[in-house]
Amino acid sequence: MANAHDAHEEHGISHVASTKVLLGTGGSLLLLTIITVAATKVDFGPNINLAIAMFIAVIKATLVVLFFMHLKYDKIFHSVIFLSALLAAALFVGFTLMDTGQYQNTNIWDLNNPPAAPIGPRPVSG
Amino acid sequence: MSEKPHAGHDEHDHGHGHGSVFIQHHYDDAQHQFDAGKLGIWLFLAQEVLFFSALFVAYILYRHHHTEIYAYAHKYLDTKMGAINTAVLIFSSLTAAWAVRAAQLRQKKLLIACIATTLACACAFLVIKYFEYTHKIHEHLLFGERFDPCISSGGTPLANMNNSCPGSKSTIQWDFNARTTQTPRGAATEGCFPDVALDLEPQRPGVQLDCKVFEVSGATTVKDGKATFTEKSRKEIGPRCFDPVFGPGGGLSLAPGAEHKDVFPCWKPNHQPGVCRPGWYFRWTCEGDKCKAPAGGEGPFQTLSACNEQRGGKEGQLKADGTPWVSDCSHGKASAFVVEYGDHALRSSNDLRIAVDCKTPPTAAAPADPFAEVGQTPAVGKSQIATTPRPTHADEKAALYAGPPPENTSMFFTIYFAMTGLHGVHVLIGVFIFIWLLIRSVKGHFTPDYFGPIDFAALYWHIVDLIWIFLFPLMYLIH
Repeated sequence: MANAHDAHEEHGISHVASTKVLLGTGGSLLLLTIITVAATKVDFGPNINLAIAMFIAVIKATLVVLFFMHLKYDKIFHSVIFLSALLAAALFVGFTLMDTGQYQNTNIWDLNNPPAAPIGPRPVSG
Repeated sequence: MSEKPHAGHDEHDHGHGHGSVFIQHHYDDAQHQFDAGKLGIWLFLAQEVLFFSALFVAYILYRHHHTEIYAYAHKYLDTKMGAINTAVLIFSSLTAAWAVRAAQLRQKKLLIACIATTLACACAFLVIKYFEYTHKIHEHLLFGERFDPCISSGGTPLANMNNSCPGSKSTIQWDFNARTTQTPRGAATEGCFPDVALDLEPQRPGVQLDCKVFEVSGATTVKDGKATFTEKSRKEIGPRCFDPVFGPGGGLSLAPGAEHKDVFPCWKPNHQPGVCRPGWYFRWTCEGDKCKAPAGGEGPFQTLSACNEQRGGKEGQLKADGTPWVSDCSHGKASAFVVEYGDHALRSSNDLRIAVDCKTPPTAAAPADPFAEVGQTPAVGKSQIATTPRPTHADEKAALYAGPPPENTSMFFTIYFAMTGLHGVHVLIGVFIFIWLLIRSVKGHFTPDYFGPIDFAALYWHIVDLIWIFLFPLMYLIH
């Protein structure tokens, strides 16, 4: 990374992405999209399915950030800015989820535990 | 990677000799201007991440608490449309990245083509979104109180709460495999009034009913040991769904042997769940051998059979002297309540086998138990449920999707529209940016020492793609 950066520092204003990298990234993203759609059709259990989908999404996001957004070849400071934003977002999510067990259940109607029964006789023969 | 940049280097040197007219005088050189712009766009992108993270927090928190809503409501979304949009955005990201390369290498035609393609993809994304949104508007799949769908997420027709679905402004005719005794309202019925009950499985998904409660006044007459009740008038007394205790003074109480299961969940007008148990309810008191209506409509509700049992006899049994027991049950006025299905009772026609007739006037519920015959169970009775094989996971899911939405499903669409809407606004802004870039690139403004706008717009476009990369599985691909 440092080498690539240094190598092009003197040549142009910014790093020029090679066609191989661009096509490879785009192709990988499309392939991963197909994989993530296909993975949904297989039942691994809701949590594992969610984990798979998020894992693939993170890979795709990393590809976009590193190659399409040139962060791999860019100044390290831009990475610091972006990662600190992600860190702030992670803190945001983490702190919000910390007391999530303290919330009142907003489901009023529980099918397994209905409210007290109204009037009404049992069916009998007439 | 080693050759192309050198080509760019040559071009750059060429361009550097002239210097772009777009290099502002307060910058040292092209590099200085580009770096300042790049820092600015990255700070903006960091802000975008935080901007969207608020909505992701809402999503995560609500999904954490209401898994069932997400499991149900995502079926309303068209995965194919979402997947196509994902591919469109990824492709446009590729062309946007390529546009930067083309600008760096002074490939003007390729630059124009890349920007035009990106612009076309952005427009295509919005067109697909337009079709998705209009479909949701049409189906009342909207946020908050506007969520009032006419179909379940599995495609079963539903009657919605506002009774606004086409063809649902109707009354219900019962057709339990044509076993309903259709008796005109107020007509005499032979025999003692049976305990009325519709023995449906009430807690099944898909059964959402709506009730009207009437207080009926009429007269009973006895002839040859058989009683008839003639309805004189009725007035609506209750809400569409009644609460566990209803009637004047809350006087009606749970009959002996009645269980919680004998109620239907249903919607109240305020969208709160309630209960519903259609049928006729008579008030009787036991007085010696005779049952009669309690004076003044007070006292606990008692069924005729309970009354008979209290007297020691049951319908059809033989008395001590060998003669059959005949209920002697009606004197003077009986007070009765009728609970009927309301205007938009139909939540699932498959489960209840209710025929909806949009044109004919309502047919009165028979003041007799349609399922009174011994040994018979209604079409969707408990005994049938009991003999049904244990449902598989897929069956349960199908039943879930066929049923009405869980409570607070509107929140899914509130979050859906907030997230995809904000993302859509970003795409729309991107459209205008790329139109501007297209014009400038046709004019030949961009050179290897001045391509900042292309690079920054591409970075913005990538973050829009990035957000969608997460939105797509989170909204469309819930398992």
